[in-house]
Amino acid sequence: MFEHDFLGLFPEIFLINATIILLIYGVVFSTSKKYDYPPLVCNVSWLGLLSVLITILLVAAGTPLTVANLFYNNLIIDNFTYFCQIFLLLSTASTIVMCLGYFKEESLNAFESIVLILLSTCSMLFMISAYDLIAMYLAIELQSLCFYVIAASKRDSEFSTEAGLKYFILGAFSSGILLFGCSMIYGFTGVTNFEELAKIFTGYEITLFGAQSSGIFMGILFIAVGFLFKITAVPFHMWAPDVYEGSPTLVTAFFSIAPKISILANMVRVFMYSFYDPTWQQLFFFCSIASMILGALAAMAQNKVKRLLAYSSIGHVGYLFIGFSCGTIEGIQSLLIGVFIYVLMTINVFAIVLALRQNRFKYIADLGASAKTNPISAITLSITMFPYAGIPPLAGFRSKFYLFFAALGCGAYLLALIGVITSVISRFYYIRFVKIMYFDTPKTWILYKPMDREKSLLLAITLFLITFLFLYPSPLFLVTHQMALSLCL
Amino acid sequence: MEFAPICVYLVISLLFSLILIGVSFLFASSSSLAYPEKLSAHECGFDPFDDARSRFDIRFYLVSILFIIFDLEVTFLFPWAVSLNKIGLFGFWSMIVFLLILTIGFLYEWKKGALDWE
Repeated sequence: MFEHDFLGLFPEIFLINATIILLIYGVVFSTSKKYDYPPLVCNVSWLGLLSVLITILLVAAGTPLTVANLFYNNLIIDNFTYFCQIFLLLSTASTIVMCLGYFKEESLNAFESIVLILLSTCSMLFMISAYDLIAMYLAIELQSLCFYVIAASKRDSEFSTEAGLKYFILGAFSSGILLFGCSMIYGFTGVTNFEELAKIFTGYEITLFGAQSSGIFMGILFIAVGFLFKITAVPFHMWAPDVYEGSPTLVTAFFSIAPKISILANMVRVFMYSFYDPTWQQLFFFCSIASMILGALAAMAQNKVKRLLAYSSIGHVGYLFIGFSCGTIEGIQSLLIGVFIYVLMTINVFAIVLALRQNRFKYIADLGASAKTNPISAITLSITMFPYAGIPPLAGFRSKFYLFFAALGCGAYLLALIGVITSVISRFYYIRFVKIMYFDTPKTWILYKPMDREKSLLLAITLFLITFLFLYPSPLFLVTHQMALSLCL
Repeated sequence: MEFAPICVYLVISLLFSLILIGVSFLFASSSSLAYPEKLSAHECGFDPFDDARSRFDIRFYLVSILFIIFDLEVTFLFPWAVSLNKIGLFGFWSMIVFLLILTIGFLYEWKKGALDWE
């Protein structure tokens, strides 16, 4: 165990230790009279960013093991987890970069939110590499517990409190459903390990009315519903718009970026590897169609920015599920490409939303005439909206194209058709941003403060990536193909 | 099977306490039946000054949450303490790591001032 288990887990161990040290550092100095009770949130966020970057280095460079099962088969390391973890840590780092200016302007003094972000990042690392139902559930719970707290972190705002409460209740409910599914699976098979489950389910005809498998069917169904709750797929999406709108913008950004990666990675592991079976595919098929339709239609009626982004992320989950419901290697690969590009675009959008914070940037109409007041951020936002809408040759077009291509390849013509139609519909509200910024003249001109250097750097990098990805996309395809292969072979 | 005497004991103690309550009803004189003064709240002889629905102090919540956390810690300590001679040094140090993490949480709340009552 000491030879390689702890070595393989070194990034996680480092991140936990860094989090603990930051917690102690923050609490000791922020309550010290000698330094006049300093607000440490900026300090702690820089240090947190540093520790996330070191963790990326440790994950990327330090891994001596390419494939290993750790801690009595509870965790696994392979190419899939390797790239997912790096990607997750990068997105966390960019969230922390986004929030550097946020705390100063909001005069939020809670350095604990950074500590909680680090802690939930660590649990998401575990979630990606979970290889057992129990390890999976524990990682999901640790992550959600951190999220409940940071959703309600702005205590003087009613919206934030309401969002935290709503998120907590529905999250606990969905965790209960997930746990019930796990216990059904365990009760009917007697194992919790993914590898053992995969062995059991190979060639096993899972039907609802079969003599042997109705319990297993119910277990898989409950696990799927629990996951669909967590990823805000459509019949189970009710909480997402309220929570996204109510919680502080930084937290919304984190919610819509990081857990998408980890939960999708975990879902792919569970459903593609352990329960590989056509029975659950119909469920995801349905959810994919419903999410695409609702994401396209409901976002049209929104006037508030964060609510619109919540619905658009629901729609994007629908597109990602296209790749999921195929169940082919191309499907998984296009899903991974889709997640990557979705996260890039979302980082970009939220960086702008966080940058335009003067006078409570809340409604889309507040953007009026920002082409004149903030020309560069206006053009950035419009360029970001084009790949969101899926306009060639930008990155979002590539991801949607590959998703539809995978759907066509596995014979799911209906999915591809509905996907194309809904993405055409959703173009309406993405382009509306551009219309408001360039062609509307509002009554009151809102002047926004210039954004800080960190945010502008982040914006520049992500914008460059999503704009020029089409010139050299082969590394992304190779990496995602390798991830999909390591999962399926 | 050892729980059977405990169940019997529970029933007997329930009966016994009911008897103790009932005896006073039997022998109390019914001459001093309730009059308004006797039914009013005891506030050192005065009428209550303000509404009884006062704000609840958050420190009670804090103490109860801390109790739950450290109660759970003790739940984990029991099996460890019983099986310490079987799990060896590795089991010992695993628990020490667990306790260390809890201690850091405790340190946090101490420095934050969740424990001082004044």
